[in-house]
Amino acid sequence: MDELKLSEIREEIQKDRRAFIKNVLGGTIAGSLLMVIPAGAMEFPEQIPGMQDETGIFITRKKFAFIVDITRCIGCGSCCVADKNEYKVPEGNYRTWVERYIIDDHDNVFVDAPNGGLDGYTEPREDVPNPVRDTFFVPKLCNMCEKPSCVQVCPVGATFQTEDGFVLVDDKRCVACSYCVQACPYSVRFINPVTKTADKCTWCYHRVRKGLLPACVNVCPTHARKFGDLNDKKSEIYKIMRLPHIISVLKHGMGNKPSLHYLGLRREVV
Amino acid sequence: MEPEYKSKYNAHLIKVILVLIVLGVGGIAAQALFIPSDFGEYGHYRTGAVEDEINRLVRNQTNESCLKCHPFIKKIHLGGVHKTVSCEFCHGPNADHAVDEKKIADMPVKRGKDIKTLCLRCHNKIIRARPEESIKMIAMPQHLEEKRVQTTHICNQCHHVHAPMKWVIEAKKAHGLIKEKEGLFPWMN
Ligand code: HEC
Ligand code: HEC
Ligand code: HEC
Ligand code: HEC
Repeated sequence: MDELKLSEIREEIQKDRRAFIKNVLGGTIAGSLLMVIPAGAMEFPEQIPGMQDETGIFITRKKFAFIVDITRCIGCGSCCVADKNEYKVPEGNYRTWVERYIIDDHDNVFVDAPNGGLDGYTEPREDVPNPVRDTFFVPKLCNMCEKPSCVQVCPVGATFQTEDGFVLVDDKRCVACSYCVQACPYSVRFINPVTKTADKCTWCYHRVRKGLLPACVNVCPTHARKFGDLNDKKSEIYKIMRLPHIISVLKHGMGNKPSLHYLGLRREVV
Repeated sequence: MEPEYKSKYNAHLIKVILVLIVLGVGGIAAQALFIPSDFGEYGHYRTGAVEDEINRLVRNQTNESCLKCHPFIKKIHLGGVHKTVSCEFCHGPNADHAVDEKKIADMPVKRGKDIKTLCLRCHNKIIRARPEESIKMIAMPQHLEEKRVQTTHICNQCHHVHAPMKWVIEAKKAHGLIKEKEGLFPWMN
């Protein structure tokens, strides 16, 4: 079932639509073929080059990484809105959110995230007594660890790491025991009150598999969120990772090896 | 004569073995019943779960998908400084508005004061976000005071929401402040 490449299927369709359909109906081409084609693959522009040719059960030729550029984030919350809309995330839960950091000239750190940044930041913080040294925004999302502790603790195999490195949740198996919620060092997991299962950011696996960028990356107006393929020498991600930037991950000491990297992260951020 | 401690019929042994067999068969049956057949093909999970995730509905689309059906907006939006700004952030997700090339429900449109709130999410100097270089920030009400208008003005009275500098540049042209084919970026407004 996996052997047929999408490109071959396309070719087949282009050659002769009528013959193709006849073949499908006649069973020459397996009927289940139609299930293999990712739903609607052809109706989307290919934002990630080469992605629509990845038709196997896993992505084989790519290694994805996510970079958040702290120096570009303006705290508008576009990403949070897009994420909420993409997944209909219930009120009060956040798959991604944006924290505001304020550091005053006495090295005090003030952090807040009213409604997860979903409504943007429209007012300055009034309760900072000393002159402010730096204000910046830190978007948070799943770190997509190479060694995910959430997967380790799941007793029923509901949360797992795919061979292409994405950590996903199977909501048909999840029993909502919350072990993973506790185990995640980055607090990105929650129990979804509607499905009553564990839920978290997936880097929009369903979009990526169709060649689209994650919803938050697609809407970011300042290009602070970047997503791409480390194996693709032409990708921005590849170039950034090879330049002498200040690139860091959150909670390095936990040993989870996140694939989410931050550009220009201050050490005050946890 | 010694008392007989051993049973002649080994009944106790047979009982234990029977219990073990029942438990074993029960266990295998339960395993077959509760563990899906595609579990453990690649790891400690259900392969179908990956497919389920792949088949999730894409609710946010790209600007191109909006522009297919909105040629008039297309001309304005792509010609302006907002050409990279997402339609769906200011309006709403495509999936709630259009399905299979057909409009299914109204798209939310912000009006009045909500427009000001919307614009200030991205252009608000007062929250002191760092990147002044990646996006222009303004402070309210100073922005309006500079322009000598009442501070109750709403952004879209002077800025076209889809191409914010369009009218500003046109006004400047009309006053001869910039020449007809000039402007900072004549192709962009
Ligand atoms: C910066 C936010 C923003 C972006 C980006 C944006 N819009 Fe709008 N749009 C608005 C606002 C605000 C209005 C209402 C304008 C008014 O009332 O003056 C509007 C009005 C409209 C209208 C007219 C609706 C009506 O009844 O007046 C259409 C159609 C529309 N937008 C489509 C689009 C499309 C398509 C895109 C993407 C190419 C887009 N918009 C991008 C903010 C935006
Ligand atoms: C399948 C075609 C189609 C697509 C795709 C589409 N629209 Fe529309 N849209 C329409 C039609 C038809 C109308 C109603 C006629 C009109 O006002 O032009 C409409 C109306 C609107 C309006 C006015 C309010 C309303 O609902 O009447 C807005 C705003 C709008 N669309 C925004 C968008 C945005 C943003 C996108 C992309 C996410 C989009 N549209 C994608 C067909 C489409
Ligand atoms: C999602 C974020 C976002 C929202 C909301 C938004 N803008 Fe913008 N705006 C941008 C970006 C990005 C640019 C382009 C910056 C660049 O390329 O230099 C821009 C550019 C502008 C500019 C031109 C600044 C210059 O370069 O001289 C004006 C004026 C402007 N926007 C006004 C508005 C108005 C009015 C609204 C409300 C209808 C609005 N913006 C809403 C993101 C946004
Ligand atoms: C009275 C008309 C008027 C109103 C109302 C108005 N603006 Fe402006 N705005 C202008 C003009 C004119 C310019 C161009 C300034 C220049 O060329 O010096 C401008 C420039 C801008 C710029 C670019 C600033 C820069 O540094 O280049 C942004 C961003 C902006 N406006 C956002 C807004 C937002 C957001 C609102 C609503 C809260 C708004 N404007 C309301 C007239 C207006």
